[in-house]
Amino acid sequence: MAQTRKVYLDHSATTPVDPRVVEAMLPYLTEKFGNASSVHFFGQEARAAVDRARREVAALIGSRAKEVVFVSGGTEANNLAIKGICELNSSPKGHIITSIIEHPSVRGLCEALEKTGWAVTWLPAYEDGVVRVDDVRDALRPNTVLISVMLANNEIGTIQPVEEIGALVNEERTRGRRHTWFHVDAVQAAGRIPINVERLGCDLLSLSGHKLYSTKGTGALFVRGGVRLTPQNIGGHQERERRAGTEAVPGIVAFGTAAKLAKEEMDQNSLHVSRLRDLFEAGVTDQIQDIVFNGDRSQRLPHLSNISFRFIEGEGLLISLDLQGVAVSTGSACSSGTLEPSPVIRALGRDDELARGSIRFSFGKDNNEQDVAYVLDVLPRVVARLRELSPLNKPPRVMEPAIAE
Amino acid sequence: MSYSPAFTDHIENPRNAGELPDANAIAEETNPVCGDRLRLSLRVVDGRIEAARFLAYGCPPTLVCGSALTELIDGKAIDDATRVTRKDLLEAIGGLPSRKQHAAALAIETLRAALESACSSLVQKS
Repeated sequence: MAQTRKVYLDHSATTPVDPRVVEAMLPYLTEKFGNASSVHFFGQEARAAVDRARREVAALIGSRAKEVVFVSGGTEANNLAIKGICELNSSPKGHIITSIIEHPSVRGLCEALEKTGWAVTWLPAYEDGVVRVDDVRDALRPNTVLISVMLANNEIGTIQPVEEIGALVNEERTRGRRHTWFHVDAVQAAGRIPINVERLGCDLLSLSGHKLYSTKGTGALFVRGGVRLTPQNIGGHQERERRAGTEAVPGIVAFGTAAKLAKEEMDQNSLHVSRLRDLFEAGVTDQIQDIVFNGDRSQRLPHLSNISFRFIEGEGLLISLDLQGVAVSTGSACSSGTLEPSPVIRALGRDDELARGSIRFSFGKDNNEQDVAYVLDVLPRVVARLRELSPLNKPPRVMEPAIAE
Repeated sequence: MSYSPAFTDHIENPRNAGELPDANAIAEETNPVCGDRLRLSLRVVDGRIEAARFLAYGCPPTLVCGSALTELIDGKAIDDATRVTRKDLLEAIGGLPSRKQHAAALAIETLRAALESACSSLVQKS
């Protein structure tokens, strides 16, 4: 391959680990190897590190340290929140409100619960990719046990009216509703926009370390004091009985450090990535026709741009960009002859062609203007080449008379 | 997913892309499930494929199969082109993961439809 430049624009999938995070965790992979549950010096050294990380993560979301439960990542956090609440309140099985654009882990969990007899209301997301608080209000039933709405969408970055939903839940509580809990998947939003669980009014909130420059394999669930849930891991007293299993100390230390850095550097990082994203979008708009931006552009995460390119398919574009050193992602997947156009893009009311041709570009703090310039050089050429190959932008052919003699 | 060098070469340098203005055999097939689409246009002279062009919409294997197919059949007698199989195509592109092999099936299906249209057009002519 002739190309040498690599441009990573898939920070919503994962982020590189910040060198300062690596430095912080290294001692816990070597000499500070203790089990945080042990009473001896080695254990207490690990315990102190876990406690510090818990305070750092709590500070990122404005919670108390003891409300943070360390888990293996965002998917486990969502599982613990949703299954934990629903299993504890399953006699009789009640009602869940969630949105049609949730992450597959939330969507999958709600679908699974639906099959076991729970009722689920799937909130629409409209053309702008934003759910409406009025729809939540209308969907509430006397037996609504859980509302789960993400803070920001993972594919299009749209920020949901979580604060308004939290206010609605609290307003309902003052009227006597006692058994409805509010869960927020904040995996994409954490570290990118300010989060305060008091302002959001949520009971549970999911976080993942590797989306904010920490290592994979560590996440957290905020569980508001007084909220009870059924643990999904049994067999130990760790995490105040809410998640059994020896704490993954190095990953937890990494997560804590990353959370601290994210909080300290959020303003500058947000400004930086939004500037690059806007520069990129202006260039794309200028150079490429027949594109559609997905999601409300005024109410979204600062680092993300989702664009559908007419006449071409996302995976073809993704691979072609990859061969030029540019890493992006698509929400659509073609496998075994079946196609799953991105459910999120479909939820915006887009046709299959636009849903298949959607690409997510997600910027990070280490990207720079040269990266944007390189992508703006490569992308229009790749799109043009794939469009030349496409039959969708050419009329059907009518056979010429045979010329064989 | 890792693709073969032959595969990436076809993606970066598609062969025989486009349409023949004087084609006498044309077919366009769509995979009804995933929506992948392949259009093949051939110029057949004296029972031999003198030129072949393709257009494709779909996942990368569909584009690559279209490109590789035109190379495989270029210059072939119709009888020989009829005997080109999915296996031949997969060999030419260095293989495909099983979940992507529908792309080769679509290409062969389109080829067969184009050859049928060539035969019927020649029959009409005679």
